[in-house]
Amino acid sequence: MSLSARVTWPSFQAGALRMILPGLASLPFGIGFGVAAAQKGLSAFETTLMSFTVMAGTSQMVALDIWAQPLPLIALAVSVFVANLRYFVMGAALQPHLPHLPWWQQPAVWYATVDQNWALNIAEYRRGQGDLGKVLGGGFVMACIWSGSTLAGNLAAGGVLSDPTAAYRLGLDFVGIAVFVVVAAIMFRGKSDLAPWAVAIAAALAARWLIGGNWYIVIGGLAGGLFGALRDTRKRHVGPS
Amino acid sequence: MSAHPETLIAILVMALAAMAAKGGGFLAMRWLGRHRFIVAVLDHAPGAVLVSAAVVPLTQSGGAFVVGAVVAAVVTRTAGGFTPGLFAAVGAVALARWAGLP
Repeated sequence: MSLSARVTWPSFQAGALRMILPGLASLPFGIGFGVAAAQKGLSAFETTLMSFTVMAGTSQMVALDIWAQPLPLIALAVSVFVANLRYFVMGAALQPHLPHLPWWQQPAVWYATVDQNWALNIAEYRRGQGDLGKVLGGGFVMACIWSGSTLAGNLAAGGVLSDPTAAYRLGLDFVGIAVFVVVAAIMFRGKSDLAPWAVAIAAALAARWLIGGNWYIVIGGLAGGLFGALRDTRKRHVGPS
Repeated sequence: MSAHPETLIAILVMALAAMAAKGGGFLAMRWLGRHRFIVAVLDHAPGAVLVSAAVVPLTQSGGAFVVGAVVAAVVTRTAGGFTPGLFAAVGAVALARWAGLP
């Protein structure tokens, strides 16, 4: 059974309500992003607008890392795209269950594809209980909580956290890097990730040293991804020995 | 409420890039089907991006960040989950600085 392409108010509400708690888990990250964005000079409006339209925390944090004047638009686009590649896979997994979704509804589904919302809904459609209203309702709540938390962080940064020494003493300048480490630790699958990640680290350090700037994220990410893919493809061709 | 035109353009570019990543897989599956090599690249790239983004700032900063990174990884893997890992990491950096690490 495929996900229903029909959106009803009750299913939208049900999807929204059940995502409130998972959404609250993003509060510390959102507040941390808001603080970091304020430190980079983004206003409360700009921070909230970015969070509501991009709605992808890790990639926003990556973007802040390379945020400088003049704004490197190409590097921003590539970094955000590469940092969001997992959503490419999630979208690919979702599509077979929405084969006849009208083109004008598709961007809303893409927008609502965020980690927790996707996980809940993909599990449901695999049980034959999927519902497009729940996908969109969950995405809407996630967008509201995420944007609201980054706004709160940005406004808080204008208060006590505007003192750079306070942020330093509290360790808040580490939030951005901590997010990368924590999400990487969650994603780590064991030995099979070690070599691609080592290649990524080596490529990132080499890129930083040889090229400078912030291209190391893209170069490291692509190097690790390509290495892992080549290794997996070669293993499949050689077969188990 | 303030916004610079250049910043708004950057936000628009970021939003389009995010939508391209999210919608790309959806559209690719519709027209291209599933290609093993592309799937394999996409399987490894997100983790590689994260470690690349973390490693350079860690090598350029003081010992407190290294302590925070180790604590983040250990707590996330043992306590499980995003929020405990994040709080432990920030707390560890604050404690390390209180103890005198740069």
